[in-house]
Amino acid sequence: MTDIGNGPKIVFELLDGKIQVTETVVMGWLIIVVVTLLCMWLTKGLKKVPEKKRQVVAEMFVNFVNNMVRGNMGEKLMYYSPYIGALLISAVLGALISMVGLRSMTADINVTATWAIMTFILITYHKIKANGLGGYFKSFAKPVAFILPLNIISEVATPASMAFRLFGNVAGGMVITGLLYGALGALSSALHLHFEMGSWAFSVFQVGIPAVLSVYFDLFSGCIQAYIFSMLTMVNVGAAAEEA
Amino acid sequence: MVLAAGDVTDFLSINLTTIIATWLNLLILTLVLKHFLFDKVNKVMDDRKNEVAQTYKDADEAKENAKKLEAEYAERISGAKEESAQIIQAATKKAQLHSDEIISDAKREAKGITEQARAEIEREKKIAVNQIKDDITDIAFSAAQAVIEKDLDTKDNERLIEQFIDSVGEV
Repeated sequence: MTDIGNGPKIVFELLDGKIQVTETVVMGWLIIVVVTLLCMWLTKGLKKVPEKKRQVVAEMFVNFVNNMVRGNMGEKLMYYSPYIGALLISAVLGALISMVGLRSMTADINVTATWAIMTFILITYHKIKANGLGGYFKSFAKPVAFILPLNIISEVATPASMAFRLFGNVAGGMVITGLLYGALGALSSALHLHFEMGSWAFSVFQVGIPAVLSVYFDLFSGCIQAYIFSMLTMVNVGAAAEEA
Repeated sequence: MVLAAGDVTDFLSINLTTIIATWLNLLILTLVLKHFLFDKVNKVMDDRKNEVAQTYKDADEAKENAKKLEAEYAERISGAKEESAQIIQAATKKAQLHSDEIISDAKREAKGITEQARAEIEREKKIAVNQIKDDITDIAFSAAQAVIEKDLDTKDNERLIEQFIDSVGEV
């Protein structure tokens, strides 16, 4: 059992071990580099009348995010489009990166918690902006005063549930896939279908079978949870901005 | 436990570096998407939207213009028809007047000619009568000379002649 149920590996350290840069952060940098290059390529030579397929793809993505933001947050908050797009891309690529054998970025509670805290900050900012600081604190005691603790819990529960939902789905998928690999490896060994040459190992049952589950846990679950996370951010921030 | 590079962290460990780095990564990715994708693509799409709207506006304007011109031309054509009718009417009237004038002129001229001819005839007649009178006088004179065979005195002669002429003139 190598990395089942473990956190991300520490890739390198800075300042005498005070700063430990983990796989998660490196994956984040990788995603930034890939997305930057992809964006630069997609938006090369944009025309009023699209000539190239890549412009159509770029417009499709931008329109998809714009329409989502417009529908859930309103025309006033359209400047959130790039942020929502970044969340969506980070969450999708962060989950799908496990398809190439790297560790999922969103299988780290630090990442999902950071994004959820960001959503919480935005919600609070828009609530205070819409109602004023006094109105914001008063809104916790509405409609009746004794409901105050429940309101506070629900306020904190929103980012907490968002963080753990995304983390749980991706990390759970990772754990189940790891367990399946282990089980198939053990089955291969038991049936003498496990070959080892030095550090290189090969189990017959580990070929193909995990891909079926991977389609659900990495592809489907990763995309759906990324979409849900972005959607919840939009809906909650949008609702906070509209509150009277 | 102190972790070093290459070590694996705990499943649910909190790592401040990761949190800050993730936050920065999200911020950078947002800026990257905004600068390299959303701003550019939105601009192009807005431009296209504006152009389409402008094209529709231009087309509507052109249509309206064409309608206006059509109405103007229709009006002008009906005006021209009226004008032509007027011109024809005026010309007809003028021609009528002209022909009337010509006819009346001709009539007057014919009348003048007839009258002149009549006066000429009258004059000729008078001349002829006088000629005849003179001739008769001469004949009568010579005849009377022959009859009388002598010269009457001039006074008697002339009285006789005049008597004769008058009697002849009454014939």
